[in-house]
Amino acid sequence: MNALHIAVKDLEILFRDRGTAIQLLGLPLIFILVFSGALQTLASGQQDTRLPLAVIDEDSGPLAQALKDDIDASGGIYVVPTERAAAESALDKGELARALFIPPGFSADVTAGRSTRLRLISRPDAHAPRTEAVRLVIEGVARDMALESQILLSLQQMGEMMANIPDAFAVLAVEKGPAQARAQFEASRARPLVTLTTVVPERTVAAEEVTTPAQLAVPSFTVLFVFLTAQATARSIYDEKRVGSFRRLLASPISKAELLIGKMLPNVIASLIQVVVIFGFGMVGLPLLGQPAFSLGNAPLSVALIALLMAFCSSGLGILIAALARTENQIGGLSAVILWAMGILGGSFIPIFYLERFLGPLMRVVPHYWANSAFTALLVRGAGPGEVLPQMLALLIFTSGFFAVGVWKFEFD
Amino acid sequence: MPAIIEVENLVKSFGDFKAVKGVNFSVEEGEVFGLLGPNGAGKTTIISMLTGILKPTSGTARIGGYDIRTEMGRAKTLNGLVPQDLALYPTLSARTNLAFFGRVYGLKGRELKERIADVLRIVSLTERADEPIETFSGGMKRRINIAAGLVHQPRVLFLDEPTVGVDPQSRNHIFESVLRLNRERDMSIIYTSHYMEEVELLCSRAAIIDEGRIVALDTIKNLIGLLGGGVIHVGVERADPGLLSKLAALPMVKEAALSTAPVSAPPDAGAEASERPPLAAGAMIKIVTERSQQAVVNVIGHLNNHNIPLTSLEILEPNLESVFLHLTGKKLRD
Repeated sequence: MNALHIAVKDLEILFRDRGTAIQLLGLPLIFILVFSGALQTLASGQQDTRLPLAVIDEDSGPLAQALKDDIDASGGIYVVPTERAAAESALDKGELARALFIPPGFSADVTAGRSTRLRLISRPDAHAPRTEAVRLVIEGVARDMALESQILLSLQQMGEMMANIPDAFAVLAVEKGPAQARAQFEASRARPLVTLTTVVPERTVAAEEVTTPAQLAVPSFTVLFVFLTAQATARSIYDEKRVGSFRRLLASPISKAELLIGKMLPNVIASLIQVVVIFGFGMVGLPLLGQPAFSLGNAPLSVALIALLMAFCSSGLGILIAALARTENQIGGLSAVILWAMGILGGSFIPIFYLERFLGPLMRVVPHYWANSAFTALLVRGAGPGEVLPQMLALLIFTSGFFAVGVWKFEFD
Repeated sequence: MPAIIEVENLVKSFGDFKAVKGVNFSVEEGEVFGLLGPNGAGKTTIISMLTGILKPTSGTARIGGYDIRTEMGRAKTLNGLVPQDLALYPTLSARTNLAFFGRVYGLKGRELKERIADVLRIVSLTERADEPIETFSGGMKRRINIAAGLVHQPRVLFLDEPTVGVDPQSRNHIFESVLRLNRERDMSIIYTSHYMEEVELLCSRAAIIDEGRIVALDTIKNLIGLLGGGVIHVGVERADPGLLSKLAALPMVKEAALSTAPVSAPPDAGAEASERPPLAAGAMIKIVTERSQQAVVNVIGHLNNHNIPLTSLEILEPNLESVFLHLTGKKLRD
């Protein structure tokens, strides 16, 4: 209960301080607005908004070409002709989200009315809705192509029959033609000439680099600014020690644990308010300003859980900074170095799937990485709760570590 | 009267440094007890141990019968602390500050409101209760600092240098509040200060502390009585045991000895005096008198009769300041 009294008092002090309120809520919104807007401008000016699809044409026949042309003409996808080896290597390295393989003999099989099979290989962590869209386009194009072939074949068969019957039975031929065509249509439905198989390898590779700027900027700056509130915790403890109220509280019937929890709680609450305000701005404010809206993805509860873990982790970090710093300048210095460096290293300024290519495992030493990684999975790739368990565990470990070392080094007197 | 505080051989060390070197004293219920000593003497460390901020290295104390080593939680409910610093939240109002400290001691609802109104009356700040502390003068902040230590009605109030940086008017107000609390509410008060006038005015007994030790503990009257009728510091060009024994034998002189004590410039000497060295060359003799005015006449007459030039002279009237100087060889504000 005493911890709650301290927390309420600290929140009152926090929100009376306009400078702190601006830092907590105003700055993140400005960052998001600027970065998201700038990225959106770049994206709309320079990028083809259609999805690229690597196509490995091992047939090189006229119908394979027709298939590629039709996919290209579908509007949402453009074909990138690719060699088999290059495609496999790019899939391996995570540079390709998906690729379509046209088998040898594809044109001959379709022309002859024999069944054939296309293969769409998709990475396991490719953006699932986009893979589904690609699959539907290919299936549609393939179905039209098969139907066209069936009709041509049917007409060809009808012509052959007409050539052999006597004129007296010509009336029968008129009835036989549609019947023959119908039979071919049914055969086409029951036994399609071209089938599409979607293959998803079991191997995990890097995340697909497809999203809107808001979907990247909103969570990554939220991570940065939630961790920056650690500085407020450290400063609040320092101020309490400086003015002597910490001594007064130590002399009151309040335990040291209650005291520290009381100092942590306001940061947790302020962080959660930050998340709500920033995400809310992304969802409502950005569209009003003509930018793409931010979405909470398919697992909003997991997003909330990550936000909660991140808030506790930031508070633990605040206790650690308060324990290590001896002066106000040290708090400012340590916070600037630790929190901003962690933010840069952890992917708050550059999306982690770009940064990982040259920083590699080094990113994993900061909690920001795990929070950003979880948000990327949930908000960019549309992952479910089960896929961010490692990130949750990592944030828990960081929180426990910060708090344990902070309490160990903390000088109450 | 029963003792509300009993301190037994209390020691506090910080690494190799011993800040408190085994102090013993007791404070009676309803007493105003002074801890007098210069900065760094160990007063705040003793209070920190008695209020649970610091753990004693050895020794113990009992507050209201609760041992501070084993029952500090219970002892804390009896204590109220007014720290040396302005331990308040400047951006919050006086009322919000008091409400917070009251809640920490378990007060709530109507009782909390009544207690806040009561302590605001005690420190005469009811009208300013809803204004932020940061808008208050230094003296008003000090008064709210005291109110925050009183809001839960402690049986023992620790006032740690409560008048530092306070204007005379607010200082008088604080004195009145302390005396009223003691008189009307029978509150036991431990008052630390390095201002001897405050301790003389407020306390019935005092312990004089220097370098972590109690060098004297008695009623104020008895402590001042240690100096008899006052002390004279006499600067001479030369002194020998013969001269000292002759001076000691003079009427109204209790003892005479060579001194290493510094001699302050006369309080009204002004800038001209402050430019002079406080110690004349040669020897300094400390003479404890039965009555300083008559003794000084006898001493000067003796030195004149024996052609011993006088290089400086200071008369210390009997008070706690001169007692401290007498006992420690140091000034309280060193």
